Amino acid sequence: MEPDGQLRPSSLGVKDLPWQILWDKQKCTLCGRCTAVCPVQAIEIAVHRRRVLQAPLGLTEKPSNVYRVYHGVRQKTDVEHACTGCGMCALVCPNGAIMPVRNDEPDKLRFHINQGGIPRRRGGRRNSRESILDAMKFVRISMLTDPALDAGRHEFELRTLIGRVLPPEEAIAEHGWQPPVREIYPLIIAGMSFGALSPTMWEGLQMGVAYLNEELGMPVRIGTGEGGCPPRLLRSRFLKYVILQVASGYFGWDEIIHALPEMKEDPCAIEIKYGQGAKPGDGGLLMWYKVNRMIAAIRGVPQGVSLPSPPTHQTMYSIEESVAKMIQSMSMAWGFRVPVYPKISATSTSLAVLNNLARNPYAAALALDGEDGGTGAAYNISLDHMGHPIASNVRDAYLNLVKIGKQNEIPLIAAGGVGKNGNLAANAAALIMLGASAVQVGKSILQAAGGCVGSETDRCNLCNTGLCPKGITSQDPRLYRRLDPEKVAERLVDVVVSFDTELKKIVAPLGRSTSLPIGMSDALGIADASAAQRLSIRYVV
Amino acid sequence: MVPTIVIDGMENGLRVSSRVLDERIQKAVSDGHRRIEVIAYGQHGLGGRIWTSANDPVELRIVGSSGQRVGAMGLPGTRIDVEGAASDDLGWLNAGACITVKGHATNGVGNAMAQGKIYVGGDIGGRGMTMTKHNPRLDPPELWVLGGAGDFFAEFMAGGTAVICGYDAAHGDNVLGYRPCVGMVGGKILFRGPIGAFSERDAALRALDDTEWAWLTEGLKDFLGRLGRTELLKGLTSDRNAWRVLAARHSYEKGAAPRRTMKDFREQSWDAELGKGGLIGDIAFSDRSPVPVLATGNMRRFIPVWENEKYLPPCQANCPTGIPVRKRWDLIRRGKIQEAVDLALLYTPFPATVCGYLCPNLCMQNCTRHKADLEAVDTRILGKASLNAKAPTPLPDTGKRIAVIGAGPSGLSVAWQLRLKGHRVEIFDSRMRPGGKITGTIPRSRIPEEVIEHEIKRIEEMLAFHALNHPLTKDEFGDFRHQFDIVVIAVGAQKPRIIPIPGSERVVPALTFLKESRLDRAKVGRRVVIIGAGNVGCDAATEAFRLGAESVVLIDVQKPSSSEREQQNAKDAGAVFLWPRFTKAITADGVELRDGETLGADMVIMAVGDLPELDFLPEDIKTERGFIVVDDTFRTTAPNVYAVGDSVRLGLLTEAIGAGRKAARAIDNLLRGEVPPDPKGRGNVQTEERLFVIPPGRVKLEYYDPRPRHFEDIASCAANCASCGGCRDCGMCETACPQGAISRKEGEEGFFEYTVNGELCIGCGTCAGVCPTGVWNLVPNEPLK
Repeated sequence: MEPDGQLRPSSLGVKDLPWQILWDKQKCTLCGRCTAVCPVQAIEIAVHRRRVLQAPLGLTEKPSNVYRVYHGVRQKTDVEHACTGCGMCALVCPNGAIMPVRNDEPDKLRFHINQGGIPRRRGGRRNSRESILDAMKFVRISMLTDPALDAGRHEFELRTLIGRVLPPEEAIAEHGWQPPVREIYPLIIAGMSFGALSPTMWEGLQMGVAYLNEELGMPVRIGTGEGGCPPRLLRSRFLKYVILQVASGYFGWDEIIHALPEMKEDPCAIEIKYGQGAKPGDGGLLMWYKVNRMIAAIRGVPQGVSLPSPPTHQTMYSIEESVAKMIQSMSMAWGFRVPVYPKISATSTSLAVLNNLARNPYAAALALDGEDGGTGAAYNISLDHMGHPIASNVRDAYLNLVKIGKQNEIPLIAAGGVGKNGNLAANAAALIMLGASAVQVGKSILQAAGGCVGSETDRCNLCNTGLCPKGITSQDPRLYRRLDPEKVAERLVDVVVSFDTELKKIVAPLGRSTSLPIGMSDALGIADASAAQRLSIRYVV
Repeated sequence: MVPTIVIDGMENGLRVSSRVLDERIQKAVSDGHRRIEVIAYGQHGLGGRIWTSANDPVELRIVGSSGQRVGAMGLPGTRIDVEGAASDDLGWLNAGACITVKGHATNGVGNAMAQGKIYVGGDIGGRGMTMTKHNPRLDPPELWVLGGAGDFFAEFMAGGTAVICGYDAAHGDNVLGYRPCVGMVGGKILFRGPIGAFSERDAALRALDDTEWAWLTEGLKDFLGRLGRTELLKGLTSDRNAWRVLAARHSYEKGAAPRRTMKDFREQSWDAELGKGGLIGDIAFSDRSPVPVLATGNMRRFIPVWENEKYLPPCQANCPTGIPVRKRWDLIRRGKIQEAVDLALLYTPFPATVCGYLCPNLCMQNCTRHKADLEAVDTRILGKASLNAKAPTPLPDTGKRIAVIGAGPSGLSVAWQLRLKGHRVEIFDSRMRPGGKITGTIPRSRIPEEVIEHEIKRIEEMLAFHALNHPLTKDEFGDFRHQFDIVVIAVGAQKPRIIPIPGSERVVPALTFLKESRLDRAKVGRRVVIIGAGNVGCDAATEAFRLGAESVVLIDVQKPSSSEREQQNAKDAGAVFLWPRFTKAITADGVELRDGETLGADMVIMAVGDLPELDFLPEDIKTERGFIVVDDTFRTTAPNVYAVGDSVRLGLLTEAIGAGRKAARAIDNLLRGEVPPDPKGRGNVQTEERLFVIPPGRVKLEYYDPRPRHFEDIASCAANCASCGGCRDCGMCETACPQGAISRKEGEEGFFEYTVNGELCIGCGTCAGVCPTGVWNLVPNEPLK
């Protein structure tokens, strides 16, 4: 009901919302913490009137009414203030008096979230818990048939190669030039831009990666995303751990060019972003309110303007030209010492790109980003309904390389939903056995290292609004200062170290301690005959 | 040892199988042999499982080539001496045997040994002393090695003691081999000589304590004695500091892996490489240190604001006269009843007549209380009480002269206001009596005559009134323009509008009818039809009944525009409303409609509005469709001539009074030269008129009794007024604030305000949530750069 007592088509009640606030009057102390912390002001302290009808036993006196006023939490029901289920209220409540609960039926808000003719936009993920990767089992446990290893006892050095590995005869024929190849850890922190992420989150991840490299000897690499790279990082030894991304917005590239002569180290690689799995075919937009002085400095843009990354590179007209132009230009910038590879959204046309790259000796890899990837901002339609699953896409690409005899030459990097349900190592291992040389992980890391409360059941997903209650995707100091970069770094280290243990648990029974079981699909099984057939893996029941 | 039996592992030139050799050893024991020599040819598992040895010891000497697993599952009382070297898994699962090997032993020595002792006179291979146990019921196992250990020593060791003497070891630079102690959870290793890296997570390195040293030196004597190498004792024990101990860490010690703290890494590596402030220290312009999730002060996302009287209440906003209704109730709540009553006269000369009786009370119609289905507080009571209001004292004389033509509601309003501002105002009217429609046409049934008399008298005491007794002429108007600084036209609409339809000459104009009726001179028909069901039509209907009509039908081409109250009065009197009805002609029979029906009538009254009589207007004052054209300040197209009321636009009494007030303000500004004339009226608007109406959702009606009721007196009205947007000074916010951040500050002359201590406030909005009047608002804090 509206304040004027009228109903409108979009007048919603609590029952119509996806998330309902359960509030316990008995436990509440009216401390105001929940309302202070709610990112969307979905709740307020409100006045309630209560009526008690007093009827004396035996009706010896005239019955009467007693009216009382009490105060308590009320959930707002207008579209703008609909609860997103982030649960910050429950997090700060000293008495456990409040909690968002998911509606027991599909909500009605979805029919009204296009107010003003603007379709729903949000950050986050696909809102589907389904995962073919989760359904895969590692069925080759070679305790007695292979030299089985003990993940807890044996020494492992799980590494992968990023870069073009030419056959010896070609390498020799190429006038002495060898394509650059990096030996790195198979888990790559996916590119999330400085801007999409808060400065504290971004620095925390970078710091954690540096720690993993320098303190634990794990050559983990991290992508910058398309938002430039802080000038100090460009001029530091830590640049070695960084994969610089160039995308259609070309943000921050003048600063990178200026820094080139002063770089102490080459970056790990250059990633040319053509697409993103979470929102294939669509570009990015950093909203003006996120473009503060700092973002402006890093991206080399004016402050307070919205920054679009168009869906396509403005001067690219074909795969051939894209490959020739971008890969060559980027390689040239670092004297052909740095691997350069494109990243595309997984698509039914991935093989066309791959075959093109196979003919180009400068192409260092191909990154495929599946539909389960995350994003800071996208149209709901792109997130929920567009894209290609990563499993079959990476499998097709790998088998295609096998067919042309180049499976050891062009590494495939798989991304998009790795660890979406918390099974990071299992998903990564499955992708590796399907043919990936490495995996990129984004939102799973944000959840683990930043404490993101988002979920595949549409919880929170406020990344695009700048209101991230954990300070992960906000540029508002009041929010991002909730996040301590040091703690983020510590958590990242925990995540990667435990990932490493889990990955060892999977590969040890295969007798692998150094080289990864890339494409070793006879180790994979699934209890789904059609999936097994489609992916050429074992059908096990 | 002198054996009582020699068992040969070779028979007839053929090697006896491990199974048969074991059966022969077991048979020899059961035959009573206690000293047995075995000539071995690589057979496995020799010397183990001698079940009776615990109570009756058995000695076994192995010569030749012992195979794998010598002494496997060995038992207490079994003594095994291997004269040469031993193969893999020496003493596997040893449960008590004492095994001595003179030479080297290969991989897996003592694997899973739980009791007993193993002595090796040379080096041992890889994976020695792994998975050993210490059963608390029995003595722990021991392994003594004269040389060094191979790689992966003591993996998952869970008990017992290993002694590695490091004497003449094959790899003297590392007597424990590569990566010992992985997964070690119990027991200890006493060793002598250099070692490489070991699993620091699992084991800790330290010196021997006195007990251990004593135990070692004593044990070495026995060990070396069994090997026949007692000459080495002196050398091995000459330097206690050459010996060290690797002992398993307790589980609780393992938790803290020896990792560098991130804080240290950040300071010593990260910031050291990047510079002060880390990654973006050079381009970040503000503090980035962590803040708590519930922040105060500048770090609050939202801040409360006390927006007292920053929004208009709907009553005031909807009053065309602009009477500050909320403020009047507030004064009454404070006990200042006279002040509340007097306040009205600053806005209208007719507070009792109009607010108390004749106005449809837009204030009440728009009362916020309706949003919760509550009765509006009754401003008519307040209006009626204003009969006793005392006229304010005018400002000092300005000497400016103003002529107001017409003494109706708008004329009297503009004159009243200008007089209060100190100007000399003269009013001219064609009638003898001021009041216009109030005294001329509005039926007596709607208001007691003495109320009007009282208020007209109050006006006459303030204003100079001239009765012209004739319609104004062009010449007279011209004279006024010369004689006065300003002329205000407020002649009203005196010319009834008659729709030119066949038979229109038969109709009686409503205006004429009402004027006559007020003088009790009107004649009325038996059956009356009134064309036009507006407020005037309704008045005509009730008057027609009063004068004796038997039936009255009001027709209109659309939904009647009359107010609900007026319609109800007419219906109560017996009137019937019909719409939409389109009149075709008026005949002797009555009103003929376009649809063919005829409404029988012997009197037809037309009430479709009136037009001003403006024959006196000069050319330079423009009209449009019969009404005078004015700008937003009510100025006509001629300078110094203003026009208000029905001569400009037909409307309610309160609208005419409001127009008079606004025009007076513009005229006053013009005469004082303070504000330049502006046709849009900008600069001519009071602050309060620029304010928005308070959003109804901000006012909390839950604080009031929800039962339907009528208000009987001023006090209960005042108490139940929600005071929309104006602080009631109830102290709810101060009490409700969980942080105790709100306090009341008092100033002079009853001034007060509520303020927030930002250092305590967390921006929860409780104040805004509980505030009955909607004065508190929670707004986003200023963005931080």
